[in-house]
Amino acid sequence: MTPDNLLKLATENHEPDWFVQKRLDALKMIDNLPLPEVQRFDFHNWKMMPDVETIIPTKVSANKNIVLTDIFEAINKYPDLIKDYYMKKVVKTDENKFTAYHTAAMNNGIFLYVPKNTVVEEPIEINLVQDSKTPFVSHILIVAEENTQFSFIQKTTTEGNDESLANCIVEIVAKDNSVIKYAAVDELGENVTSYLSRRASVGHNAYVDWSIGLMNSGNTIADFDTDLYGEGAHAEIKVVDITSNKQQEGVNTRVTNYGKHSIGNINQRGVIMDRSRLVFNGIGHIIHGASGANAEQENRVLMMSSKAHGDANPILLIDENDVLAGHAASVGQVDQKQLYYLMSRGIDKKTAERLVIRGFLGDVLVSIPSKKIREELIQTIERKLADGQ
Amino acid sequence: MSTLEVKDLHVEIEDEERKTKKEILKGVNLKMNTGEIHAIMGPNGTGKSTLSQTIMGQTNYHVTQGDILLNGESILGMPVDERARKGLFLAMQYPAEIKGVTNAEFLRAAINARRPEGDKISVMDFLKELDKNLELLDMSQSMTERYLNEGFSGGEKKRNEILQLLMIKPQFALLDEIDSGLDIDALKVVSKGVNSMRGDNFGSLIITHYQRLLNYIKPDVVHVMMGGRIVKTGSADLAVKLEKEGYAGLRDELGLDVKLVDGD
Repeated sequence: MTPDNLLKLATENHEPDWFVQKRLDALKMIDNLPLPEVQRFDFHNWKMMPDVETIIPTKVSANKNIVLTDIFEAINKYPDLIKDYYMKKVVKTDENKFTAYHTAAMNNGIFLYVPKNTVVEEPIEINLVQDSKTPFVSHILIVAEENTQFSFIQKTTTEGNDESLANCIVEIVAKDNSVIKYAAVDELGENVTSYLSRRASVGHNAYVDWSIGLMNSGNTIADFDTDLYGEGAHAEIKVVDITSNKQQEGVNTRVTNYGKHSIGNINQRGVIMDRSRLVFNGIGHIIHGASGANAEQENRVLMMSSKAHGDANPILLIDENDVLAGHAASVGQVDQKQLYYLMSRGIDKKTAERLVIRGFLGDVLVSIPSKKIREELIQTIERKLADGQ
Repeated sequence: MSTLEVKDLHVEIEDEERKTKKEILKGVNLKMNTGEIHAIMGPNGTGKSTLSQTIMGQTNYHVTQGDILLNGESILGMPVDERARKGLFLAMQYPAEIKGVTNAEFLRAAINARRPEGDKISVMDFLKELDKNLELLDMSQSMTERYLNEGFSGGEKKRNEILQLLMIKPQFALLDEIDSGLDIDALKVVSKGVNSMRGDNFGSLIITHYQRLLNYIKPDVVHVMMGGRIVKTGSADLAVKLEKEGYAGLRDELGLDVKLVDGD
């Protein structure tokens, strides 16, 4: 991408000068930044930064108590908020090549602002459809002011079969005493190479619940980060993941405890089929001074094929003495006892296997707060398993 | 009328750690028809559970000699799910727990596995049948939305096995120590469930240590198993006699050289 092309794109999109400048500055950084680090997972030759030529608007509407708009509308309407938070406080432009590329090339997005003391009863639902004919550089910025409560549900799918890129970043600012339940089902197509980064910055006594169904069919790098800055900040991170065919997936799920008495739990389940490869890195980092912090993680991979390759790596980095931390990890095969039990009721082997897999994912599935997303995710899982078998 | 016949069955299991094989069943013969309830009694470690698991098709048990026939057809080459669809059912001592799959969903899958594609049971019919059986077994509605056996008490698991029996309606049900760990009220409920199945199209083989269960489910035939063989067959009176005299008494009467040990 050249600065001229980028300038033309931004100008035609009626973006203010400060935003265009942010794009141009980011573009310059790309070459000097490293790739994101995903341990035990090599993706250096993936093509991740194509030229972006079109802007993809998103139609959203919301009740009058909150702000939910297309991100480009927000840039003009709420410039101060965007200047304060966008690619600055939670995810930073200069972290790696893909974050810088994101800031430079972002062509789709949503801004959600929930004002102080607001409780939103109905879940806020977003459906994003990636058109495989153009790169999809999508940004969701969620700013939750103090004492807010809401659920956010995001579904992402692909239309078309062309080879394409998705670079999607979700930033959540969870201010003091906010309670945010974020759920996502990612279902990008098999020819889509994606970089998915989701990160929350969590304030005093705030709570962020992440429930993520990583159901992409194409190669994926996922970076799920939670920074527990506030005292008593709390995050639960649940990831279920299925890989099939020749799919390659590297997942970094990280919680960093900065705040005293902060709690971060990671629970990940992956099912690997065919010749696919899945690396789960669970990273728990407790910063010096975060006394009374609690960091637990469980990473489990179920191998459905001897040609599949799975890794579950717990990584604990602890710089404080007064903490509770623990981890469990496993890579294993189908529970034969469960399989036999189901088949003894006449259920054929394939169906029984699917139910056993559901049982394996069950630990995480049952802890997803929304029944609707749980059921949708189960349907997606059934579909993906049926395709892979 | 259907028949289930076990002919000169020899079965061994492999100890994977020690890489040794051990013969558990040493020539079992048994024939039963639908319309009949048979009981197998015997001391611990004598091969009762091995017999039921082998009939069902658990692959850890290797048949080295003999045959198992369902309606005259050998089922030895069939995998467990096929045997189940042919009409066999095993109520297990230790049912598996599967989180994330509801009881109702599992029951529907089991019922539909027996029906042709395009003729799946309707939701209405399923729920009607389910409600009827839940009431019979004194089980609450909430059991159906709970995850399969997950967090169930011992008694709830046994009831859930019988619920499956009532929903699936097999020709032959093998009940493996369905009475173990049940209090008297639960035992009555479970027995009521099994008795409700009685009829010309249903036969059952009940495995138990104790005669107590047989007070509630009256058997037509009682077999006593020791040392991997059926050593005596008789009427329901045989169970009463055993309860009085113990297995050692029968062993000595028959002049058998069998050690009676605890632990399966």
